[in-house]
Amino acid sequence: MTIRKALTGTFSALAVMAALGTGTASADDLKLWTLSFDSPTVVSAWKDIIKAFEAKNPGITVMMENRSTDEHKAALRVAARSDQGPDIYFMWAGLGLGGEFVNAGLSKPLDSYYAQYKWDDRLSAIAGSYSKLYPGGRHGVPYTFHGEALYYNKALFTKAGIAAPPTTYAELKADAAKLKAAGIPAFTFGGSVNWHLMRLMDAILESQCGADKHDALKAMKADWASEPCATASFKELKDWSANYTLSPFMGIDQSQSFKLFLANRAAMMLEGDWLVGQIRDAGRLADFDVFPIPTGTDRLYSFAEYYYVSSKSKAPDAAAKFLDYLLSDEVQQKYLGVIGSISVNAHVKYDNVDALNQRWLDIFAKYTKTFVNGDQAFPLNVTTEYFRVINEVASGSIAPENGGKTLQIFISANK
Amino acid sequence: MAKAFPSLRPQTQGYLLIAPALAVYALFAVYPMLNVVWMSFSAWNGLSPTSRFVGVANYRAVLTSDPVFWGALTNTVYWTALAVIVPNVVAFGLALALNQNLPGRSGLRVIFYLPVIIASIAVATIWKWMYDPFFGLFSNLLTTWGLTDFIGDWLGDRRIALWSVFAAYVWQTVGFAMVLFLAGLQNVSTTLVEAARIDGAGRWDVFRHVTLPAMKPTITVVFVLSLINSLKAFDIIYGMTGGGPAQSTQMLAMWAYTQSMQLGDFGKGAAISVILLVVTLAIVIPYLRWMQTQSEASK
Amino acid sequence: MTLFAQAFRPVGSNRVDPLLVALWIGLILLAVIWIAPFVFIVFTSLKSNASVMGTGAFAPPTDLAFDNYVAAWARGNFSTTVFNGVLITFIKVPLGVFLSAMAAYALARVPMRGSRPLFLLCVFGTMIPFQVMLAPIFQQVNAFGLINTYPGIILPYLAFGIPYQVFILHGFFSSVPKELSEAARIDGASHFTIFRRIFLPVSLPALSALFILDFVATWNEFAMALVILQDPRKWTLPLGLMTFQSQFQSDYGQLNAAIVMTVLPAAIVYLMFQRYFVAGLTAGAVKE
Repeated sequence: MTIRKALTGTFSALAVMAALGTGTASADDLKLWTLSFDSPTVVSAWKDIIKAFEAKNPGITVMMENRSTDEHKAALRVAARSDQGPDIYFMWAGLGLGGEFVNAGLSKPLDSYYAQYKWDDRLSAIAGSYSKLYPGGRHGVPYTFHGEALYYNKALFTKAGIAAPPTTYAELKADAAKLKAAGIPAFTFGGSVNWHLMRLMDAILESQCGADKHDALKAMKADWASEPCATASFKELKDWSANYTLSPFMGIDQSQSFKLFLANRAAMMLEGDWLVGQIRDAGRLADFDVFPIPTGTDRLYSFAEYYYVSSKSKAPDAAAKFLDYLLSDEVQQKYLGVIGSISVNAHVKYDNVDALNQRWLDIFAKYTKTFVNGDQAFPLNVTTEYFRVINEVASGSIAPENGGKTLQIFISANK
Repeated sequence: MAKAFPSLRPQTQGYLLIAPALAVYALFAVYPMLNVVWMSFSAWNGLSPTSRFVGVANYRAVLTSDPVFWGALTNTVYWTALAVIVPNVVAFGLALALNQNLPGRSGLRVIFYLPVIIASIAVATIWKWMYDPFFGLFSNLLTTWGLTDFIGDWLGDRRIALWSVFAAYVWQTVGFAMVLFLAGLQNVSTTLVEAARIDGAGRWDVFRHVTLPAMKPTITVVFVLSLINSLKAFDIIYGMTGGGPAQSTQMLAMWAYTQSMQLGDFGKGAAISVILLVVTLAIVIPYLRWMQTQSEASK
Repeated sequence: MTLFAQAFRPVGSNRVDPLLVALWIGLILLAVIWIAPFVFIVFTSLKSNASVMGTGAFAPPTDLAFDNYVAAWARGNFSTTVFNGVLITFIKVPLGVFLSAMAAYALARVPMRGSRPLFLLCVFGTMIPFQVMLAPIFQQVNAFGLINTYPGIILPYLAFGIPYQVFILHGFFSSVPKELSEAARIDGASHFTIFRRIFLPVSLPALSALFILDFVATWNEFAMALVILQDPRKWTLPLGLMTFQSQFQSDYGQLNAAIVMTVLPAAIVYLMFQRYFVAGLTAGAVKE
C-alpha cells in the first residue's frame, strides 16, 4: 500500500530530522552567541582563540554563532523559553539590557568560578564592577570596556581652520559652524539604526543637564516634560541634525555612514574605540584623530560588554573554562587592540600601540567616572520610544519643545 | 492490505483521508488563532515561566497609550486601500494590452510576472539598494540627468518612506493580478466582441458592455486576493525600513511582531494581532457568505 | 517580418491599427523599466566597490569582479542556507500537496457528515494571513520543543499551505466526471484505491501546478522562518540574505551578488515551468 508507505516514510523522515535538528550534542559542546563583527581582523582573532582553546582542551568544542544587534536580542529572548539556547551569551552589561536577562534568571551566578579562577586578581576594577550589580551573586565576566568619543578628519579640520580639537561644548558648536562655513558637514550619522543618532542625544543630555540630572532622567526619576535641560537638549539635537549633519542620514545605517566618513564627506563621527580597528583595516590610520566629547562633566561616555553563562547551560564548567581562557593574560595580551583598545585584564602591557589607540589609552586613563548609553539604561519599551522621539525631533515632525513631553507621557503610562 | 480497507465504512475512509491534513491545520493554524485571543487578555514578558490574566488591560494600553498603534493602523488602512487599487488598475491595463494581437507578448508577460516569483525579502533588498541616497540607482540617475534637487531620502524621510516601499510593492505584485486578469479575459467571448464591432460599437462601448461584465467574477477574486495579500506586507517593510524612520512605516502585523518578539510584551502583541484579525474577518466573512450563495445558486 | 505579418490587427479586422502600435511601444518601454532593476543588480554584482561609487548605474561592469560571488557565497553562508532551503522545500512541498489531495478528495467525493463545515473551515484558512499571528505560532512550535528544527518550520508551513491547496484541488476533484469513479466503486474498490488509482493520475496537471507554485512560495518564505529558525545553521536563503544585508550593507558588489544568488533558483524554476504557474494560479481562483 503505497499511501501508507509514503506516510510512514515521510513521518519517519520527519522524526529523523527532529533528531538531527535537536542535536545530539555531548555535554561539552559549547554554544557561544555573540554579535557579528564588523572587522575581519576581529573575526579571524576569534577563530584563532577558539581553535587554540580547543587544542588545549580536547573534548570541548566551541560553536560561535553571530547575529546582528537586533536579531541577537530577539534570539536570546526566544532562547530563554526553549532548550535551544547558548551556553555563553554576549550582552551589554547595563541594567536595561544585560540586567533584564539576569533578573529573569537566565544568567548563572558565577561566584564559585570567580573564586576558583581568581578572576578578580586580573580584572580591571571598572570593567569588573558590572558583575556586582545584582543581589544574590555575581553575573557574567567582562569582555570589553568601551569608550565612545569624537573621531575627526584631520585634513577637514585644517581646511576649516580649526587648529585644535574643542574642549568645551561651546567650542564644539563654534567649530561645527566653521566647518559649515567651509562647506563641510560636521557629523555623519546612520539614522536607520536608531542607536547611532541616540549617541548624539546622550552626549547632548550630558552636556546640558550635568551628571546628576542626566542620571535621574535616565533612571526615569526626573520628569522629562518639566526638566528644562531635557527640552534644551532636544533643541540642540534638532540644531545639530538640521544644520551640522551630512544629509540625508535617516535612510542609511552606521556602516554606510562610516563609508562616507572615510570618503571625507563629513568631519566627525561619534564612535567607540572599536572604530580604530576598522580605520586600520581601511589603511587610513594617519588621517584621523579622536578626542573625548566635550560635555563639561568629568565622565566618559562608555559601556561594558559581558559574556554571561546561561543558567540553562549543561556544561557550565566548560563554559567557565573557556571564559577563563578568554580572560587570560596570554590571550588578552595577544589580541590587544583587536578586541578593544584597552583590555579588561589589568596585567596587559601596552607598548607599540599606534597613535589612535594611544589616544584611547590616554582617554581611559584620564577618566574615572562614566555615563552609559541610553539603550542600556532604559527598559526595552522605553528605549524604543526614546529612539522614536529622537528620530521625530531630528526629522522635524515633533517640535523640540514637545520631545521631552512625548517621552514622559510614555514613561508615565508604562510604569 | 488493499483488501482490508473496503471493510471500513466509506465515511470512516473519508475521515481517515482528511485526518492528517486536519490535524496539522488544527494544531498549527487554528489553535494559535484561538490562543492569541487568550494571550491578549494576559500579561507575559516572554521570560518568566507563567503568564497572568489582566483583563482588557492590553487593549486599553494599545488603544490609549501606545504612541505607534494608531499610526500603524492608519498606515495599514491606507496601504490596503492603495494595494487594492493601484497594482490592480495597472495590471488590468496591462492584461487588456497584452490580450491584443501584439508581437512578443508572451515575452512581455514573462517580464511583468518575473518580480512576483522573487522572494519579498530580495525585493526589499533590491529596492533598498536602489534607494541608497548616495550610491543607489535613483540618486545616480537623477545626478546624471542634472536633477540633484529631486534626490530624496527615499527611505529616511517619513513623508515619503511608506510610499517608496509601496512603489516596490507595486513592482512586485502587478504581475500576479495581471496573470489572473489575462486568464479572465479568455472567458470574454470573441464572437460577442466581433458582433458588437460589426454593429458599430466603439472600443469603449465594447469594453463597457461586453468585456467588463464578463470580467466581473475575476475582478472580485483579484480584489479579495489582493486585499488579503496586502495584509501580508510584512517582509517587504521589515526588509526595507524595519518600520522606521521613527516608526512612521510601521504596520499592524509588524508592530504585533515587534511587541511580542522584540520587546517581549506578548500580551500587547497579541492584542494588536486580535485587532488585526477582527479587521480581517470583517472583510473575509461577507466574502465567504457571498461565495456560498454563489455556489448554491449554481447548483 | 513574419512575426509582424499578423500583428497589430484588432479582432475581426485586417488593417494595422495605429493605436495598437502606440500601445505596443508603450508596453515595451514599461517592460524596460520593469526589468531595469534586474540589470542594475547584475551589473553592480560584477563591480568592485570602487567602481560602484565611481561609475554610472547602468555602465556595464568593466572589471568583472566575479570574486564578489565567491566572497558573498562564503560570507553569507550560502552552502548552509541553500542546503536548508532544498531540504525544507523538498520535504514540505510533496508532503503538503499529498496531504491536501487526500483531504480534498474526501471532501469532494466521499459523502460524509460534517464535510460542509470542514470545507468552510478550510476556505476560511485560505483567507487568514499568518503574518498576523507570528508570536502565537512561535509559542505553539515552542510548546512542542521544535524551535530551530526542520519539523518546527515544516509543520506550520504545512498548516498554512493546506487550506489553499485543498480549496483548489476540491474544485478540481469536484469536476471529475462521476462515471470515472462509479464503476470502480461498484467493483468494491475502497476510496483509498480510487483516490490513488484514478484521481491522482487524472489530476496530475493540477498537482504539478500546485507543486511548482508551492515550491517558489516555500523557497521564498521569510516571516515564519524569521520567528522559528533562530539558529544560523538552520537558516534558509531569505534569512541569510536579510542578515547579509544588515551586516554588509556597504559592500555593494557583494550585496548584489548575494541578491542574484538568492533570486536565481526561483527565477530558473519559473522560466522553466511558466505555463504551470498560470495554470496553478488560475485553476482555483478564476473558475468560480
